[in-house]
Amino acid sequence: MNAVTQTRDTAATTAAREPALLPPVDVVEDATGITLYADLPGVPRENLHLRVEGDQLTLEAEMALALPQALQPQHAEVQLSRYRRGFTLSKELDAEKVSAELSQGVLRVRIPKAEHAQPRKIAVQVA
Amino acid sequence: MKIDEIRQGFGTLWDSVTEGWDRLRQSAAGALTRLRPGDDTALPAREHVDDTLWMPSAGWAMMGGEVFEDDDRLVVRLEAPGLEKEDFDVQVQGETLVVRGSKRFERESTEGRWRVMQCAYGAFQRTVPLPVPVRGEEARASYRNGVLRVELPKLAPGKPRTVSVQVG
Repeated sequence: MNAVTQTRDTAATTAAREPALLPPVDVVEDATGITLYADLPGVPRENLHLRVEGDQLTLEAEMALALPQALQPQHAEVQLSRYRRGFTLSKELDAEKVSAELSQGVLRVRIPKAEHAQPRKIAVQVA
Repeated sequence: MKIDEIRQGFGTLWDSVTEGWDRLRQSAAGALTRLRPGDDTALPAREHVDDTLWMPSAGWAMMGGEVFEDDDRLVVRLEAPGLEKEDFDVQVQGETLVVRGSKRFERESTEGRWRVMQCAYGAFQRTVPLPVPVRGEEARASYRNGVLRVELPKLAPGKPRTVSVQVG
């Protein structure tokens, strides 16, 4: 059951202590691994940093405004421009094989289960 | 704090993510936009979701908005991750910008169990008051990286107006 765990304070996250938004995530677990979706609006691919250190998965991202300098802000509802969230991966997940894609502000991370943790079908020979 | 201690302190996996959810829910008290799922939102069936705090009937999202201004135009940005540009309906009604949209739950995998459900899905509407009159028919909108950007030329170009009000 222990596939991924939210961590509060780890070596990976104490390095950057600036205030950051905690992005909401959806996590689906199937027989071969887990898929994590995170809402990260405003983040271009080059500003997304996904790190795996040991069993720690750290997500850090920075929004890019890309607006001409002359524009004056009149109204802003979210003052923070950084996202950060950390997870602890269970041993049954294969952290070496994490893959990720970013599309219209939604990050998708796929972490397969290690082969020994995947269900295996055993062919039964009839003697 | 060591990771092992955190693990012990947290107990089972989804409890610990739920802890994060609680924090999110606290922030959701200040969330800005309500999303109302409909039939076309295609949410997963209740029996496939293990997140006990998930409320399929409604979701709240930050969807932060910003209004920028220079001499000639207003630029409105609205965070709206995970839509297609066809999902937006953007209208200028007098001195108000109305943005409607629908965020569908579209996932390639329907097998498996949803352990955590924090993202919001469904139809939403944001009404943004505009500080000056604009030429609505010349407005242009684009959608990139999950952010909607609407550019509205001012009816009367000029510097942003500031009026000081004496507090008596």
